[in-house]
Amino acid sequence: MNTTDDQENVVDTIVRRAEERFQAHRNQILRATDRLFAWLMAGQWIFGILVALTFSPYAWEGKTQSIHMHVWIAIFLGAAISSLPIALALLRPGWIVTRHVVAAGQMLWSALLIHLTGGRIETHFHVFGSLGFLAAYRDWPVLVTATAVVATDHLIRGLVWPESVYGIVNPEWWRFLEHAFWVVFAISILMVMCVRSLKEMRLIAERGAELEALSESEWRKTSVLERDKMEAAVS
Amino acid sequence: MSGATLARVGGSHDRAAARPRLSNGMASVAAALWLASLAVGFGVLWRYKSTPGGQGRPPVQWPAQSAIFRNPNGATLLMFVHPRCPCTHASISELARLLARVPTRLQTHVVVAEPAGVPVGWTDTELVQRAHAIPGVDVVRDEAGREAARFHAIGSGLAVLYDASGRRLFSGGITASRGHEGDSFGRERLLAALSGKPADRDESPVFGCALSSGPAAAANRGT
Repeated sequence: MNTTDDQENVVDTIVRRAEERFQAHRNQILRATDRLFAWLMAGQWIFGILVALTFSPYAWEGKTQSIHMHVWIAIFLGAAISSLPIALALLRPGWIVTRHVVAAGQMLWSALLIHLTGGRIETHFHVFGSLGFLAAYRDWPVLVTATAVVATDHLIRGLVWPESVYGIVNPEWWRFLEHAFWVVFAISILMVMCVRSLKEMRLIAERGAELEALSESEWRKTSVLERDKMEAAVS
Repeated sequence: MSGATLARVGGSHDRAAARPRLSNGMASVAAALWLASLAVGFGVLWRYKSTPGGQGRPPVQWPAQSAIFRNPNGATLLMFVHPRCPCTHASISELARLLARVPTRLQTHVVVAEPAGVPVGWTDTELVQRAHAIPGVDVVRDEAGREAARFHAIGSGLAVLYDASGRRLFSGGITASRGHEGDSFGRERLLAALSGKPADRDESPVFGCALSSGPAAAANRGT
C-alpha cells in the first residue's frame, strides 16, 4: 500500500515538474522572441527611413525640391507602428497580447514597406518572411492574427480604394480572399510546425522531469547509505 | 537546462506576472492610442497615394509646332517625365511592361523635363537611364519645358497616344496610384486604345511631380 502510494506520489511529482519545466521553457522562448521582435521593429523603422531617403527623398516642382511625403510617413507612421510592439515587448514580455500586437505590427510594416518601395513585387516577400519570423513564437494563433491583419487591410482597401490593391476599379468582392489565400497557404505548414514543436518541448520537459526524479532518488539512496555507514562507524 | 535554472526562470516569470510593469488598463489605453495613430497615419498615406496631380489636357490634334518626330505610318506614344521625380519610376516600369505587351513596334518618346537655369547634367539621373534602357524608346530633352507647354503636360508620368493622323487616342497616367507599380486602368485603357478595342474612357489620372514650377504646378501639389 505504501509502495503504491509512493509510486503515485512520484508520478504526480514528475507530471507537475514536467509541466513546470514546459511552461518555463515556453515562457523563455516567448520572452526571447518578444525581445527579438523589439529589435526587429526598431531596425525596420530605421530601414524604412533609409528606404524613403534613398528612393524618394524629395518631391519636385520643376527645379524646386521639397521633402517627400514618404520621408515623413516613414518617420512618423513607422514610429507609430513600432511603438506599441516595442513597449509591450519590453514591459510585458511573454504576455499573450504582446505577441499578437507584434504580429499585427509586423504585417503593418509589410504594408508600409510595400508603399515606400512603390509597390515593388519583391517587397511583398516581406509578408512571407515575417510569417516565418512569427513562427518563432511556436504559437499558431499568432499566425492567424497576422493573416487577419493582411486580409483586413485588403478588404478595407478593396472596398474604399480598390485600384490600390487590384489595379482595377470594380473587382469582385471576394478578390481579397484570393490574396489572403497565399498567406493561408504559407501559414498552414508553419502552424503544423508550431504544434509539433510544442509537442517536442513537452516531451523534453517530461524526460527532464523523469531524470530529475531519478537523480533525486539516487541521491536519497546514497544519502541513506552514507548515513548508515557513519552511524555504524560511530557505534 | 538544469532544475535550478528552470526554477530561476519560472520564479522570475511568476514575479513578473504578479507585478507587470505595464498594467492591463494602461496597455488598453496604449492600444487604443496605437490604433488611432495607425488609422490617421495610413489614412494620410492612402490619401496622398490616391490623390492625382494636375495632368493638363493634351491637344486633340498633334501640335504642329512640336519638334518631336511623329510616326506618320503608325501610333506615337509620348511620356512626359520629371527626371528627378521618385514617383515616376513606377511609370517608367509600367511603360516598359506595356511596350513588352504591344505586338507592333510603337514610336515612343520619353520627354525629359529640363527647366531653364538648371546646371549641366541635371537630367542625367537613374530614371532617365532606365528610360534609355527600354528597347525602342527615344529619350528627348525638353529644354525650358517648351514641348510640355505645347502638349499641355503638367504632371510627370503623363502618357499621350496619337494615331498616324495625329489624332489623340489616349492621355493620362499608367499607374494605379502615386509611385505604385502594378495593374492600373490607365494602362488597360492605353492598351485598349493601341489595339483598337473600346474602352470606358480615353483618359486616366496622372500621379507624379509637377514638370515645372509656377501656376501650373499649383494643381499638382502634394507630390
